[in-house]
Amino acid sequence: MEFKLEAHRIVSISLGKIYNSRVQRGGIKLHKNLLVSLVLRSARQVYLSDPCLGGPGAGGPPQPPPAQQQQHQLPGEPAPGWGDPLPRDSSMEQDPEPAGAAPEPTALPLGLGKLPLEGSPLVTAEAVPEAPRRRVEAAERGGGGGEGAPVEGPPRARHFCCRRLGCSPHGAPRADCGCRPRPDDGLPPPPVCPRKRSASGAGGGPAGCLASGGSPVKKPRRDSEEQPGDQEEMETGNVANLITIFGSSFSGLLRKSPGGGREDEDGEEEEEPQRGPEAAEPGPMYCDKPVLRNLNPWSTAIVAF
Amino acid sequence: MEGESIYEVDSEDGVGADIISTVEFNHTGELLATGDKGGRVVIFQREPESKNEPHSQGEYNVYSTFQSHEPEFDYLKSLEIEEKINKIKWLPQQNAAHSLLSTNDKTIKLWKVTERDKRPEGYNLKDEEGKLKDLSTVTSLQVPVLKPMDLMVEVSPRRIFANGHTYHINSISVNSDCETYMSADDLRINLWHLAITDRSFNIVDIKPANMEDLTEVITASEFHPHHCNLFVYSSSKGSLRLCDMRASALCDKHSKLFEEPEDPSNRSFFSEIISSVSDVKFSHSGRFMLTRDYLTVKVWDLNMETKPIETYQVHDYLRSKLCSLYENDCIFDKFECAWNGSDSVIMTGAYNNFFRMFDRNTKRDVTLEASRESSKPRAILKPRRVCVGGKRRKDDISVDSLDFTKKILHTAWHPAENIIAIAATNNLYIFQDKVNSEMH
Repeated sequence: MEFKLEAHRIVSISLGKIYNSRVQRGGIKLHKNLLVSLVLRSARQVYLSDPCLGGPGAGGPPQPPPAQQQQHQLPGEPAPGWGDPLPRDSSMEQDPEPAGAAPEPTALPLGLGKLPLEGSPLVTAEAVPEAPRRRVEAAERGGGGGEGAPVEGPPRARHFCCRRLGCSPHGAPRADCGCRPRPDDGLPPPPVCPRKRSASGAGGGPAGCLASGGSPVKKPRRDSEEQPGDQEEMETGNVANLITIFGSSFSGLLRKSPGGGREDEDGEEEEEPQRGPEAAEPGPMYCDKPVLRNLNPWSTAIVAF
Repeated sequence: MEGESIYEVDSEDGVGADIISTVEFNHTGELLATGDKGGRVVIFQREPESKNEPHSQGEYNVYSTFQSHEPEFDYLKSLEIEEKINKIKWLPQQNAAHSLLSTNDKTIKLWKVTERDKRPEGYNLKDEEGKLKDLSTVTSLQVPVLKPMDLMVEVSPRRIFANGHTYHINSISVNSDCETYMSADDLRINLWHLAITDRSFNIVDIKPANMEDLTEVITASEFHPHHCNLFVYSSSKGSLRLCDMRASALCDKHSKLFEEPEDPSNRSFFSEIISSVSDVKFSHSGRFMLTRDYLTVKVWDLNMETKPIETYQVHDYLRSKLCSLYENDCIFDKFECAWNGSDSVIMTGAYNNFFRMFDRNTKRDVTLEASRESSKPRAILKPRRVCVGGKRRKDDISVDSLDFTKKILHTAWHPAENIIAIAATNNLYIFQDKVNSEMH
């Protein structure tokens, strides 16, 4: 149990570091943020694998992803990636995640950094459905449909990989693109995600999204592979995504099932009746409603940034 | 060791800019350069031994101070570029002038340091103040002569190597061929020619096609001291890669990979962070490499890739405190390491203004403190001890009372003598071992 609390605390601290790094002088430090993301991933793994909350890992340690999942990934190895592939613009007005929305608890980092190529195996591997994939999927569809995306859908971001290799704007990937179109395999419809995304901010971002609505957008980065020399931008936009993913989804982690309502939180509370009200950061965190209350504004703050 | 402390800057206008960020002796040890967070470089010169006081070997005094880098703003990316000097490397001296390379996160500059101690006098057309003479008053011609003047040290930027790096430069290293040097950032290493600023040659690129696949970054790199084709770079995963530039143009494939398997009993959330190598240094002989990670220094034999030949614990008592050190960011501190001239002793910094030395032959180690008390002239440094519970001796410091804001990240050892330079925040300490001046 201590591990879980410790992990919980470490995740919060790590999120804070990533958040703060965006305003540091001199730009985002890639090395430090990489290390923080590794810690974040380890802590999340522990957190999810600890069965004490009756959470997703109740059956034991997280199962490794299926071997066919990722062409880049070794079987059984957690994805080493950074986060959701879709960049996010920090300067864009971000709608705070409504309390009622169902931000699916994100998957383990297993697939976090990767564009999931087969959705369903991942869902089975992890009891927790993967929110970022959902967003990507919806974006895929949106991207495939062009820019007239429904207002409440996820961003119209093109497939990250496609964009970088110069895929056409309407989502038809190039043959050598390496990213496969998402099969519409009967996954539940994507969650309502009012968050807008576009070209990410501080780091320049690897690509720009085509946001829906009338908000001003930065022009998406050029499609072609980056030119050598001074035109290349430091790709740290993924850091922002990491914050988004972890920040928003972390509160969802404490729910038992996707889209679960408050009754799940109460259920958790019942499991831990002895726990007193938690202390504020950086004190020990307890799996309790006050914790969730504290987490939500935290994730909201990150998103709003 | 005796102490002499110099270069303490009053920090009334903010400590930040005066924090020393790099220290480097030149190849003879006559000059010592420091860079700071404010982009300034200060060069100290060792006074020649005077016959009057044979016991006092030369002291280091300020020789020159100049502003190397200024803060910049990249408008295109909305990024501020810090002026902090990350590294200084001296070029081997080839004439009367001294040259050094200094770098911040993005730009490397070659500075030439020259002395002027003579001044021409007796011009025909100009008078002493430089005003043109009335030609009608000139009745005879004279040849200007050089007259001695007060020594003036002039520093001028000779080359500016810009736009070579997208990520933050962490190291530079001059090749033994004295013509080229390399600069390394988080993901790439470039090879430059000292005379050519408008292009560089990329020799290592570990940037993945998809940044989400990023798992490690380059943390330090150095050329071999004798073989101009060999260099090493360290990674955040704790591995070292020795590369041979003769093997291929792009040295992404290493010639040798030095890696020690992780000890599973020490696994924690922070195992990856503490295994990241913060500094790598070839020995003077070129046979060994010294690496520093958060808790240890390791000596590697170039002929053995599987594990280091020696491992020294710098401050293992911190192992149980990694979570707190993660919280206060101390776990990300990048300590440097240094060899002495004969490669028999290695040195590295720690917290509480402590620094550690390990004698490879006798296996003895010592902890010393860089502080005002210890640095009065002729004061002898007293070995310090950190107690980790159990019997506590007088003058021991307990782990919990260590001051983690006082960290010694940068140290340098004179190439030939037992003189060390220790940077403690905004103070520079120079210690000499007068008893054992000779290297052994």
